[in-house]
Amino acid sequence: MKLPVRKFLTFLIPVIACALVPVFVHNDYLMQVFFRIILFAALGLAWNLVGGYAGQLSLGHVAFFGVGAYGLAMFTARGVPVWISIFLAAAAATGFAAVIGLIVFRLRGPYFTLSTIAFAEVLRLGAANLTATGGAIGLSTPALFRPRTFFETHLLSTVQQFYLAAVTLAAVCFVINYATSKSRPGYYLMAIREDEETAAAVGISTAGYKLRALLISAFLTALGGALYGSAFQYIVPDSALSIEISVQMAIITMLGGAGTLLGPVIGAILLLGASEVFKNRFQESHLLIYGILIVVVVLFLPEGIVGGLRHLFRRGMKSKPPSSVAQSPAVAEAKGGN
Amino acid sequence: MAAILELRNVSKRFGGLRAVKDVSLDLSPGEILFIIGPNGAGKTTVFNLISGFLHPDEGSIAFFGKDISRLKPHAIARLGVGRTFQIVKPLPALTVLENVMLGAFMHTAGLPHAQEEAASILDFLQMSHLKDFQARGLPLAALKRLEIARALATRPKLILLDEVVSGLTTSEALALAELIKRLPEWGVSVVGGVEHVMQVVMKISDRVVVLDYGAKIAEGKPADVVKQPEVVEAYLGAKYKELAR
Amino acid sequence: MDGLLTGALYALIGMGLALIFGVMRIVNFAHGAFLMLGMYASWVLFDRYQINPYIAFIPAGIFLFAFGYLVYQSLIRPIRSRSDFMQILMTTGISLILVDSVQLKFGADYHQTNIELVNTPLRFGAFTLNAASLLSFAIAGVLIIGLQQFVVRTRTGQALRAIAQNPAVAPLMGINVTRIQGLSFALGIMMAGIAGALLLPALYLFPSVGEDYTLKAFVVVVLGGMGSIEGAAIGGLVLGVTESVTSLYLGNEWALAVDFVLFLLVLSLKPSGIFGRQRA
Repeated sequence: MKLPVRKFLTFLIPVIACALVPVFVHNDYLMQVFFRIILFAALGLAWNLVGGYAGQLSLGHVAFFGVGAYGLAMFTARGVPVWISIFLAAAAATGFAAVIGLIVFRLRGPYFTLSTIAFAEVLRLGAANLTATGGAIGLSTPALFRPRTFFETHLLSTVQQFYLAAVTLAAVCFVINYATSKSRPGYYLMAIREDEETAAAVGISTAGYKLRALLISAFLTALGGALYGSAFQYIVPDSALSIEISVQMAIITMLGGAGTLLGPVIGAILLLGASEVFKNRFQESHLLIYGILIVVVVLFLPEGIVGGLRHLFRRGMKSKPPSSVAQSPAVAEAKGGN
Repeated sequence: MAAILELRNVSKRFGGLRAVKDVSLDLSPGEILFIIGPNGAGKTTVFNLISGFLHPDEGSIAFFGKDISRLKPHAIARLGVGRTFQIVKPLPALTVLENVMLGAFMHTAGLPHAQEEAASILDFLQMSHLKDFQARGLPLAALKRLEIARALATRPKLILLDEVVSGLTTSEALALAELIKRLPEWGVSVVGGVEHVMQVVMKISDRVVVLDYGAKIAEGKPADVVKQPEVVEAYLGAKYKELAR
Repeated sequence: MDGLLTGALYALIGMGLALIFGVMRIVNFAHGAFLMLGMYASWVLFDRYQINPYIAFIPAGIFLFAFGYLVYQSLIRPIRSRSDFMQILMTTGISLILVDSVQLKFGADYHQTNIELVNTPLRFGAFTLNAASLLSFAIAGVLIIGLQQFVVRTRTGQALRAIAQNPAVAPLMGINVTRIQGLSFALGIMMAGIAGALLLPALYLFPSVGEDYTLKAFVVVVLGGMGSIEGAAIGGLVLGVTESVTSLYLGNEWALAVDFVLFLLVLSLKPSGIFGRQRA
């Protein structure tokens, strides 16, 4: 695939800008907020492959997130080097996704969503009750980063390094989303979202493509989970396997615009930014803002912010087809009979 | 010439209802065959059986000699069976061009190539001027053509047109019929299904099969079939009986 | 035995959801949040006015009915014909709003409702039963039969079933679909709320107490077969018994996990429910 230089730059410049933030921001609290925003942008982009392009509303992605976090802790505890553990954990999550996918993709609509939740909940309850996972007490996670100096003078704090890792992950997720949206698999996923029967009628193996999307999504989500687990040094079932994380991934993407490239990024900035403000104001009730935003989006912006804006721009240009379509003056009547 | 599609004694039940009873039919290369019959006669079920959305309880379906009666829809599509749906199923959020590209993707992964091919098919169906519109909100006449375009883009050997002219005005139906008549130019055989609009059938089909209550009751050249008294009386109604005289 | 007693409450919750999801096709992910609301309503009545939960369930139920109707009219009706996807999001949003509003108002603390009845054992030969759970079983039983009779016998109930069978034709028969849908949504919410009120003496109360019950309610509806109100009642009992058997052999902490495994098994092996007829 040839990548036009200009498009490459419009992608690279924001990434470099994000990567340079630690040069200017040294406040650990702020860096932590930025880390969470970028991490959830990455998670949203990962979810977008399944929930956005393929239109499968999974609310069980925390399962992969949790396997990533727990996998990292458990593999390193058995002597595996941390960076290998991360990828082992992500591979485990992918394998788990393959098993889940075979079952859940046979189900439709609400049953699909419910079964994804059920899987994630089984995992959470398992982790809470098994000794290998530390039960409800949880596990401590290995540190991926330690403070380090470079150029002798500059200190890069742990949080700053986690932030940079999140930027890298988000960039990878973005590139995968971009490649998907501009290629046959992306079109296939969108066809599956719009109508599975039509998709099958043009020769698309709907089960196969949905599963592939889920595997990639699970792998990326697990990397995010590992990063999260390591950043917070400690994981319990109610943090690393909480259904709230699944909901967040979905909401971020839906708010920004599911099946769009920028949607998850915009959604993460808005939602986590807002929740940060509300956290200081309402403490534990900060999810209230999520609820209100969801209701507003569903009622007024069903295609998300990016989708809504796109409509606004299309209007007046090419939203409505001309009234004479197929040489016949009787077209309008046929439309009425549809 | 050898038949490209052979149905042998195909039956399908839904609960107690036998939707298709012991139907056999053959299709020759380049032929346009129409299945006619009143609503509920089993036409759509036959299309769903051929395209793999349903599997027959009894009998076999062969395409170019290969048994396809147990294959999944996408696998049958890949063998060269394209189809349209009775209730049009556009992919509403995608543009007309993108809808057709999805068909073209069956044999090319490249976007530019798929675009080219989709454009030339839209050109054939006289809807190039619509290619950048979202499929959502197109009038029915355009959607019916879009269905055909998408199926044609997969380069099928056989195309199944379920109720392809239903809901269209007579002039729209006739315009579409002209295009269907030209489909064999693309190396495609056609099995169509219609409830009425006999004009269309008479005009473009090489042969018709009449279904009623799931069973085949007549078969032959359209002009001959419409004269058969049982067809005329039971399935085409008194109106055509007079016409046939 | 305990399993059947809990099962009756599950049946109540499940029938409520069966009305909303099974019959009206509204995917209600806020069911547990409404149940929680019923618990808080009943707790407020107990805490402020010393009203016994076994009486307070009546005003709590009425409050939930009105509230449910309001929610339907303002938030559900506009998206009624939209995709499942949107309904799931909407009701998830409603759930978050309810849980966090309650938390804002009443705090995240745990509350316990002590009434004497809970500690009164009743002996029936070899069995010892808890008087409170027996009472809630009786109330739930009356309501279950009442709801079933309502759906089968009354005109509204018949209209409701007509809509469930064919939403397109119902308006032609002179049925006001919007009114009936609103009514059954409210009724379903009321059932959840009453179940919540009846659960109050047996559980600690905190804002997210309802979370598990949303999924349990779906488990019950799926077990009983989609769209069947009677099925949901049986599904509830099955779930209750399954849980108590699980608790007995594996321990209490595994009960919920077994629920979900059962759910996944039923969905993937027999999607029409244990008691449902196989549909084409």
